[in-house]
Amino acid sequence: MDANVNTVNAGRLELRAVSVRYGALTALEEVSIDFPTGVICGLIGPNGAGKTTLLNAVSGFTQVSAGSIVVGDVDIARFDIRERVALGVVRGFQTPRLLEQETVRTNVAVGCEPLGHPSVVVQLANLPAQRRAEARDALYVDEALGLLDLQEVASRRVDQLPFATRRLVEVARVLVARPRIVLLDEPAAGLDADDRDALATVIRRVHDERAMTVVIVEHNVEFVRLLCQHVVALDYGRVISRGDADAVLADEAVRLAYFGVSHNVAS
Amino acid sequence: MTDAPLADETEAQKAEAAMGGATSFRTRRWRLLEAVLLLGLVTALYGGLSAYWLVIVAQVCLYTVATMGLDILFGRTGQLSLSHASFFGLGAYVAALASAHGISYGLQLAIVLLIAVLAGAIVAVPTLRLSGMRLALVTLLFGQVLQWFLITEVSITGGSEGMTVTPLSIAGFNTGEPHVAFVVSLALALVATVVTAQLSRTQAGRRMLAVRDSELAASACGIDLPRTKIQAFILAAIYAGFAGWLYAYVVGFVAPDTFSLFPSAYFLVAVILGGAGTVLGSWLGGAYIVLAPQLFAIAGQPNLFAILGGALLIVVALLMPGGLAGGISALQRRALSLQVRQPAGPNGR
Repeated sequence: MDANVNTVNAGRLELRAVSVRYGALTALEEVSIDFPTGVICGLIGPNGAGKTTLLNAVSGFTQVSAGSIVVGDVDIARFDIRERVALGVVRGFQTPRLLEQETVRTNVAVGCEPLGHPSVVVQLANLPAQRRAEARDALYVDEALGLLDLQEVASRRVDQLPFATRRLVEVARVLVARPRIVLLDEPAAGLDADDRDALATVIRRVHDERAMTVVIVEHNVEFVRLLCQHVVALDYGRVISRGDADAVLADEAVRLAYFGVSHNVAS
Repeated sequence: MTDAPLADETEAQKAEAAMGGATSFRTRRWRLLEAVLLLGLVTALYGGLSAYWLVIVAQVCLYTVATMGLDILFGRTGQLSLSHASFFGLGAYVAALASAHGISYGLQLAIVLLIAVLAGAIVAVPTLRLSGMRLALVTLLFGQVLQWFLITEVSITGGSEGMTVTPLSIAGFNTGEPHVAFVVSLALALVATVVTAQLSRTQAGRRMLAVRDSELAASACGIDLPRTKIQAFILAAIYAGFAGWLYAYVVGFVAPDTFSLFPSAYFLVAVILGGAGTVLGSWLGGAYIVLAPQLFAIAGQPNLFAILGGALLIVVALLMPGGLAGGISALQRRALSLQVRQPAGPNGR
């Protein structure tokens, strides 16, 4: 059923000397990162460090000025967004962007796009190919709703739901087509401590059930510590530290860049 | 699949749930009740209405079809168009010109389809980079060019005087006969209703909703934005084109006025007032733009339509964000929740 992802190493994500420049401003400067395959990886750094730019570059929302982005064995640096999604590279947004007047189920089903669908005429005529596609989508949606404990609100309109649930709906939409590489932009932003811990648990559970590489941009150190095995720290568009979460969070350079002071965040 | 019937069953339920909104809570009994009521209504209309009102109701059906087209484009895909009546007019003039030249009905339908696809694509392509008011202005330009052509090319179109159209006649049935006009128009409207309801159960329909609500999120899901918009424009043009084609035969007359900027605006009113994104809303909207002027005329106040119509639009927009259909389904939901105690309170997560 995973029609679009055949590559054996599909979950492998490697950046090779990636630079992103906006005019005179350099947002990313020759960044090379080989993300450990199948691992939840945190991307930290102060404001303006280039975290979201990196996410945009990988997902195709920003064009790279130089370098290559390798997914599996393919350099996707020149691919458009759709081609990347088809390869299993899917992202979320810092603010959930949902279909407010539609149900949770409809919102998640939108994410089934990369699974492939028959032509519009076939869809409108409800021919067998359409019925098969719709049944398949329903299975994928059910699975995603189940993974994120959203079954109970499946038929509710999204604009009637609390923020934390809306966040989960967006994560479900990102996950529904079983991507190999998941990019999340500050998923814990705006959540209180309980919801944050719950989100971390859910993401970990999904990750354990599926082979996928997860890259999470995150400000919240607790969340990163809770969730990420591997951490990459950026500052001024460069990698300043990377490795085990605890080691990176304890790194002197990271603490200086991130907090401006050298207090011990690892304790 | 080994257990095909079972799979079909759940599939239908899933699809129904996926539609959400007005239909997800409807039980089968409700459906049956509605079907019986509708059949009764149609029979009563067929038997009880005078010739004049049968043709009016036929027009309600045809305007409803065109409104469904604009609902796909504007209500579901969020693309503002001020030239929808032009698509309607293209279909109507195909009927007028083709019947004058004795072209067969089958070929006429093919021509309407072809022209609708072309016109939809022509309007869509330059608008792919525009949205909101700028998009509306480009569509307005298309409508005005067509108006100019219809009015100035007197030798082809009859100019502002318009053309009379010989009624459609197949196997002894003639659309000049009000009962035939009613049945044929109703049949087209039912087909359009079924197709539009099906759109809500497809990825094609969900793509449109995604484009309407967030182009960023839509493209992040891998949705092809230009393709989705072009599809919406073409579908809108096809609905309006077929409706306009039959309209010419039912009314027996076409003139540029019927397809100008004001009727285009009325189609927008129909979508907003009726309720965007629902087939019921298109029916209510189509009924409104045909019946309201008639009712005001009967009351002896034809000019009040424009004034009170505007006021009604404002009231509905303020009080019922989902239009009349949204208001009805909210009432229905309330009635249902009184019958069946639903699990109350927020679910938290």
